[in-house]
Amino acid sequence: MRLAATALALTAALALAGCGGRADAPSTTPAAPTTAGGTPSGSPSGSASADASPSTPAGTTIDVTVTGSDVQPNGERVKVPVGQPVTLRVTADAPGEVHVHSTPEQEFEYQKGVTELTLTNLDQPGIVEVESHTLDKLILQLQVS
Amino acid sequence: MIGLVVAASDVTRDVTSAHSIGGAKDLPIPAGLAIAGAVAALAVSFVVLAIAWRTPRFEPGTDGRALPWLTALVDSTAFRLGARVVGLLVVGWAVFAAVFGQDVLNNPFFGMFYVWLWVGLVPASLLLGPVWKAISPARSVHWLVSRATGGDPGRGLYEYPERLGLWPAALGLYAFVWLELVYPYSTELGPVRLWVAVYAAVMLLGGALFGEVFFERADPFEVYSSMVARLSVFGRRSAEVTGTAARGGRPRPPADAGQIVVLSPLSNLSSLPARPGLIAVVSVLFGSTAFDSFRDSTHWVRFIQDTPVIRDRVWANQLANNAGLLAFVLLVALVLVVGTASTGVEAGTRRRGLPVQFAHSVVPIIVGYVVAHYLSYFVEVGQDTVIKASDPLTNGSNLLGTGDLTVSYWLSYHPTFLANTKVLAVVIGHVLGVVAAHDRAIRLLPARHHVTGQLPLLVAMVGFTAGGLYLLFSA
Repeated sequence: MRLAATALALTAALALAGCGGRADAPSTTPAAPTTAGGTPSGSPSGSASADASPSTPAGTTIDVTVTGSDVQPNGERVKVPVGQPVTLRVTADAPGEVHVHSTPEQEFEYQKGVTELTLTNLDQPGIVEVESHTLDKLILQLQVS
Repeated sequence: MIGLVVAASDVTRDVTSAHSIGGAKDLPIPAGLAIAGAVAALAVSFVVLAIAWRTPRFEPGTDGRALPWLTALVDSTAFRLGARVVGLLVVGWAVFAAVFGQDVLNNPFFGMFYVWLWVGLVPASLLLGPVWKAISPARSVHWLVSRATGGDPGRGLYEYPERLGLWPAALGLYAFVWLELVYPYSTELGPVRLWVAVYAAVMLLGGALFGEVFFERADPFEVYSSMVARLSVFGRRSAEVTGTAARGGRPRPPADAGQIVVLSPLSNLSSLPARPGLIAVVSVLFGSTAFDSFRDSTHWVRFIQDTPVIRDRVWANQLANNAGLLAFVLLVALVLVVGTASTGVEAGTRRRGLPVQFAHSVVPIIVGYVVAHYLSYFVEVGQDTVIKASDPLTNGSNLLGTGDLTVSYWLSYHPTFLANTKVLAVVIGHVLGVVAAHDRAIRLLPARHHVTGQLPLLVAMVGFTAGGLYLLFSA
């Protein structure tokens, strides 16, 4: 009977969804292989030693302050020139993670205290969002042009 | 574009975040270019109104040159079967990645679903005609099931209710844009897979109940694709007696009924059936794309992140995004209905029937804006998906041989060219929309309202176009 066959097809479709649901539990590998180049040439988990480094390269430095669940700046747009590095001086009361949605994407960790993160590879014109992954908030939109 | 919380991480994910699977986004278009585009749209609108033809040009279903050889090719069993097999293979590959692949952004399923299908549907239909109808796996499976059980795929258990029109498709389209733009976990495998499973279930059930007409009216992707296909140069000669043939007293269908014809996109567009729910379909498509631009703007981000009530509550954040999407869709619908209904009519004509008769004229505006909004995203993330498609299980394999290709970011590196192309697409869409509305107005409205009756819709269209350009400029 036709309805029976359709019902069978439906069950199959839903079963696919269902069994897939179980399958994704083990597949959440913590080390997500995001786009190559995720670890930039700078110091990805730059420690306090970054303070000491005297050679601040040419480019823009932006202060970022993380206090509790609050982050400043708060979704602002900042114009930066193409090809120039951007340094984020993060002052935080707890360690955390920043995602830079450039092409390719970059990820950084910061420590409690002051951490300087250097964003390179900003060669392609566009809007690059800088997001606090820890707080799930947009910190900056870098207008690279 | 696609709100995502980066998959496979141990950080709590409970607040909507707004980024995309595509990395960097387009720069805003320069203010001067946005203003030039808006002024051009405004000027062209009034030129069309002032000097364009005064008798209707487009005869739905009768224009164009018939192409018997193309009809024979496209209608041949081999071609139709080939298209179905291609559709099943590609969708099967995506399902394979969705079911057995890892829940990471490198899973090609996301790109195939959000970029190839949702965005790619527009250029494919614009160039080739109703593509999704030809490859739709829902139709293929329905056909196979019907044949296996000795039924006729064209007939269901019930007649599809005419009054339902395209409403189910509008609902399905809204469900898609909700998943893409509002739902916080739109790039996690489980929820997207569930969405697809529910879609497949509804399609198969609807097909069994109402026959193939269900796909034509209720499959969101087919309705979208077939609507955009009305802007292509390919159409079918109508088998109905329409226009001059009917008036000229020759109540016979044309000899070449059903044949594929090559015709002007505007003429093709005029034959888009004005079914119930068409307004809802175009409003969801235009409103959601506009909301997609808007939610990336600093206005919206700061509103969400600065307003204490919203900032500190997950549900309030979600509510704000839901309300934003719905408000954009409803606003488009309202402007469209008011713009088309507020015209002079003759006594006895029902104004309520007018909006759906004019809805086709918004299609080029939607397509122009979609091109502007998605062009670089489609080209670049689309290529990226071709590369990722070789590795559906994210284990480093290169099954299709495309894994070694590299993405060309030429468009992003030429922002001036990109911005000009985007504004040109919006303006061309606007001009086609205005001409389509003009032709319909002089067909439907009484002579003394030909010019004045078009003004409200013209204002609405200029509003859509200027609004779209403003979003491209400010977002």
